Amino acid sequence: MGFGDLKSAAGLQVLNDFLADRSYIEGYVPSQADIAVFEAIVAPPPAELCHALRWYNHIKSYEKQKTSLPGVKKALGKYGPADLEDTTGAATDSKDDDDIDLFGSDDEEESEEAKKLREERLAQYESKKSKKPAVVAKSSILLDVKPWDDETDMAKLEECVRSIQVDGLVWGSSKLVPVGYGIKKLQIQCVVEDDKVGTDMLEERITAFEDYVQSMDVAAFNKI
Amino acid sequence: GPQELALLERSLGLQEGNKYGVQGERKIPVLQTNNGPGLIGLVTIAAHLVKRAKKEQLLGSTAEEKAVVQQWLEYRVTRVDGCSGKEDTRIILKDLNMYLEDKVYLAGNNFTLADILMYYGLHPIMADLTVQEKEKYLNVSRWFNHIQHYPSVRQHLSNVIFIKNRLYTNAH
Repeated sequence: MGFGDLKSAAGLQVLNDFLADRSYIEGYVPSQADIAVFEAIVAPPPAELCHALRWYNHIKSYEKQKTSLPGVKKALGKYGPADLEDTTGAATDSKDDDDIDLFGSDDEEESEEAKKLREERLAQYESKKSKKPAVVAKSSILLDVKPWDDETDMAKLEECVRSIQVDGLVWGSSKLVPVGYGIKKLQIQCVVEDDKVGTDMLEERITAFEDYVQSMDVAAFNKI
Repeated sequence: GPQELALLERSLGLQEGNKYGVQGERKIPVLQTNNGPGLIGLVTIAAHLVKRAKKEQLLGSTAEEKAVVQQWLEYRVTRVDGCSGKEDTRIILKDLNMYLEDKVYLAGNNFTLADILMYYGLHPIMADLTVQEKEKYLNVSRWFNHIQHYPSVRQHLSNVIFIKNRLYTNAH
């Protein structure tokens, strides 16, 4: 969790992406979570990070009520996208060890929370150093999915295909390609981890949508 | 029409059990009153209910905010209700998506009647969007998902699902 270093462009980008489909950091009302993140940001986000800017201006309008907003302020690392590793202070090109003291130096005395956060960060830094990510073999596959006829609802067909959620499979962009007689096939890209997902399994899952799918072929297969 | 006004009454916390009728081919709602011909028109009745519920802030606080609220109420009745077909829908969603890029609510920072009536008006449209369309109109989806979680607004209307993981490549 966490957004990375919110004083950096990368951190703000994470925040921006996180807020694209959210009005608030947590839940559907402004809370201490928003205040915690707001206070970690030094200046209004730039205009191109439009979601972060929208959120920033909105939370700013609550400045007078900030102490009365619901919730309890937690460490920054507790908010944000769940799948993001907290990399604050553990960046490979981190020049200053001051990063670890990020919260400590701001306060007169180090609070309980700040101490806990620093220890958490240290532990994460150690564990990140100790395990190097293994190189994962991936392939980019272009699939042709053919409907029964020209009356088939291609939007629903696409939804069915994209609803196939498997570990190691990421769907990419798609387009409809006419094949004659008014029939269009769905050409859709995906990236798979080779040892988790195979084309046989994909074919099985896709052709299982018998109402929409007549057949599936691999149009292109490239190792990444 | 009448069902929507009943929904609105409940979302405002009113227990009046008003009687609504409809008028004309376009089924304009009418609020029967004890004295006189009745109050006509969705926006007129809705604003009246808001005042009866003593929640005037839902009509906007500053002069500017009030104007923006009116703008979207008018938009709801003229553009959303008059919408026929995919092309109209596409234009509405495109307009709204651009508008909402830097706003949390239609009136900016505060929840107003504009959000409520636009939510009710757009519900059938949003419920039918594909995953790809919801992602394309990301700001509308964000706003809609927010409003449907607002206490007492959604009631018996279906919860429109918005998935968190972005499936389609970003196209800004």
